[in-house]
Amino acid sequence: MAKRWWRGRWRQLLILGSLVGPGIITANIDNDAGGIATYSIAGAHFGYALLWTMIPATVVLIVVQEMAARMGVVTGKGLADLIRENFGVTVTFWLMVGLFLTDLGNTTAEFAGLAASMELLAVPKYVSVPLGALFIWLLVVKGSYRMFERVFLGICLVYLTYVVAAIMARPSWGEVVSQTIRPSFSVNAAYLSTMIGLVGTTITPWMQFYLQSAIVEKGVRPEQYWATRVDVIAGSFMTDIVGLFIMVACGATLYKQGVGIESAEQAAQALAPLAGKYASILFAVGLANASLFSACILPLATAYYICEAMGWEAGVDKTLRDAPQFMGLYTAFLVIGSLIVMVPGAPLIRIMWASQVINGIMLPFVLIFMLKLVNRPDLMRGEFTNSRFQNAVAWSTTVIMIALTVGLVVTAFVP
Amino acid sequence: MPLFGYCFLSDALKRPVFDPTGEVVGKLTDAVVVRGDQLPRIAAILVSREGRLVRIPWADVEIFNKRILSTRLAAAAVEPYQADERDLLVARDILDKQIVDANGAKVVRVNDVRLDGYNGDAVLTAVDVGLRGLLRRLGVERRSDQVFSLLKVDLPANLIGWQYIQPLSPKLNAIGLTVPRQMVADLHPADLAEILSQVSREEGQNLFTELDVKTAADALSELRPERQVELITAVEPEKAADILEEMPPDEASDVLADLPSEKASEILGHIEGEEAKDIQELLSYEGDTAGGLMTNAYIAYSPGTTVARAIERFRADADSIEPVYQIYVVDREEKLVGTVTLRELLLAEPGAPLGALIKRKPQTVGPDEDAKGIAAVMSKYDLVAVPVVDADGRLLGVVTVDDILDGLLPSPVKRMRRGA
Repeated sequence: MAKRWWRGRWRQLLILGSLVGPGIITANIDNDAGGIATYSIAGAHFGYALLWTMIPATVVLIVVQEMAARMGVVTGKGLADLIRENFGVTVTFWLMVGLFLTDLGNTTAEFAGLAASMELLAVPKYVSVPLGALFIWLLVVKGSYRMFERVFLGICLVYLTYVVAAIMARPSWGEVVSQTIRPSFSVNAAYLSTMIGLVGTTITPWMQFYLQSAIVEKGVRPEQYWATRVDVIAGSFMTDIVGLFIMVACGATLYKQGVGIESAEQAAQALAPLAGKYASILFAVGLANASLFSACILPLATAYYICEAMGWEAGVDKTLRDAPQFMGLYTAFLVIGSLIVMVPGAPLIRIMWASQVINGIMLPFVLIFMLKLVNRPDLMRGEFTNSRFQNAVAWSTTVIMIALTVGLVVTAFVP
Repeated sequence: MPLFGYCFLSDALKRPVFDPTGEVVGKLTDAVVVRGDQLPRIAAILVSREGRLVRIPWADVEIFNKRILSTRLAAAAVEPYQADERDLLVARDILDKQIVDANGAKVVRVNDVRLDGYNGDAVLTAVDVGLRGLLRRLGVERRSDQVFSLLKVDLPANLIGWQYIQPLSPKLNAIGLTVPRQMVADLHPADLAEILSQVSREEGQNLFTELDVKTAADALSELRPERQVELITAVEPEKAADILEEMPPDEASDVLADLPSEKASEILGHIEGEEAKDIQELLSYEGDTAGGLMTNAYIAYSPGTTVARAIERFRADADSIEPVYQIYVVDREEKLVGTVTLRELLLAEPGAPLGALIKRKPQTVGPDEDAKGIAAVMSKYDLVAVPVVDADGRLLGVVTVDDILDGLLPSPVKRMRRGA
């Protein structure tokens, strides 16, 4: 009984209420601390020059998320499960090592976001981070997560303030539109890494695992799949519209004033046209919420899918003896993530940004596995494999992301 | 006798297979498994040779162990493998897949397969589901052993004997044994429900259709609604009807209410008269009112029934109804006269009529009462079950405290409870 009771808790995390679908939930967890930092930096450092990436990024996000959702519906299995069953243990093991490191980076970024937002409210990180980690641990283990989930989702509306702030900053809309639809490109390490970060924060590796599991848990049947598709597409637009407006808000204020973002204080000034001297508080609330929300789900989801892939016992109810790997992983995420952030003088904004670049570098590997699986007629019952368009989009994303990564490495070492 | 002692599949996979002249035929890729005398055995090995698979029958395998693989056939004489959908391949179909450990009552993942030499055959004796198997697959078993021995920790083997394995794919059922099937049927319904909720839809359906009606009904009651729908649609309508008949009518009607209406009426058509009527009646009420929560399987006798006769009838009637807290006394028009607890019944004079045992007017609720209202009545009068009556006082059904708990607890707890 107790065992099932706790498994149910994981399930709640995944189902997250029947009101909002998995697509929209995933979208909101996606706009986490790393996301806000990356969009802000892109806007502050490059103005509107990177706005155009949001259109292809949205197309790719929809295609990729739809693939994950479709695999979940048709196979009834999680992505980690499918990778293990079809590619064997060695490949799975190394992929999981990569994802562990990537998500450790992400978790660290969430704590960095928490620390940065709390510092705006004059709370030192040595207080906010340990308390935050404890709060998350209690929330998940004591099972009051669901109660807070609504609050988290509600506070996510703070993102909408970026839309208002962007409008109030009176950007030249002609320029915004032309930069959004006209691609530009330059080859230097800063531009390339910001671009990888933008794609990496929009289309994260972990969210494919999370979304697919959430859909499997919801028990969506192929004949109800259209509803899931709508949900996924709506979520994708939500992620990217918020991202776009953060960039515009930062571009219209910080970039114009020549302020680069090195601290949360500076990032918050993008909200000044709306909130004036209260910009810091507004920004702090939004960032703290995003950080806590994602820090609840990310470590747990990662520990869960790693255990799923490796065939280890998993569940937050288990003792260290019953599920040593699961408890070890979960604890490692929270402890290491918060300890890194508490290193004196840790560059919080840089940590958030770097984690998203790592996401972007890891993404093509996950995409390759997804593409190989989704095109297997035996797994996808023939008719549910990718269309030519979907394959073209996903494969070119994979190739482009690898090319960008190679480009980044080259430009970083060749002056 | 190609295999003496034992060998793990991963020790042999991807190793070269030699012919009598010492030429390499190719690399061992997989093996065809068939039903053996008691345990499944290997019928042939598959070797990849110049990008194609060739098949070497077990009779032509000379040596098969973790050091050497060889065949009696000349490399040029081996025959290509004609892929057959029905073939069960050990690496493709068993390795890395989930199976049910009927002994430990849980779902596990196969890290490795142990083969034992027996009467000249290589039989599948166990699957490795532990860390040791994982490390062996990663090719670091020996090194890990050294590391672990430095730490003075023993790396335990975690093998599950083939006799305890309940496969999840239809392909594996063909070589399945009857022992695990019996063990699965003997599992606690809650354990079985957990297993069913952990595996994919298809695997769950496959396992579920294998269960006997009674076991299936018990397990189904423990699952959350989405899973119930998935599973019940997978079985034939006749069997689905039998399974639902096994369940208390209120739970059966909950399952039917969640099904697409066509499917529901098809199944309902196969349910026997009396039971179908009960279920249909329950289906007509809103889900979270007394009408939707109640069961209409209860025990009711007339006021004139003697205590002795009531006890005698109770022995027969109570068997199919659970749980029984009270006996309801109804008149000829099915109007509720009163309730008699089992304790009162057992302590009373055998000759007394039930009507004489009734102390006061019974506490009842209407079919439209919501969970909170029912709980208020239960709490005020200290009841574990409360009868539901219509406007004329006719007994419609009974809501028990466990029906009401589900509705009252905050939704996460409810989900957890049903959530398997």
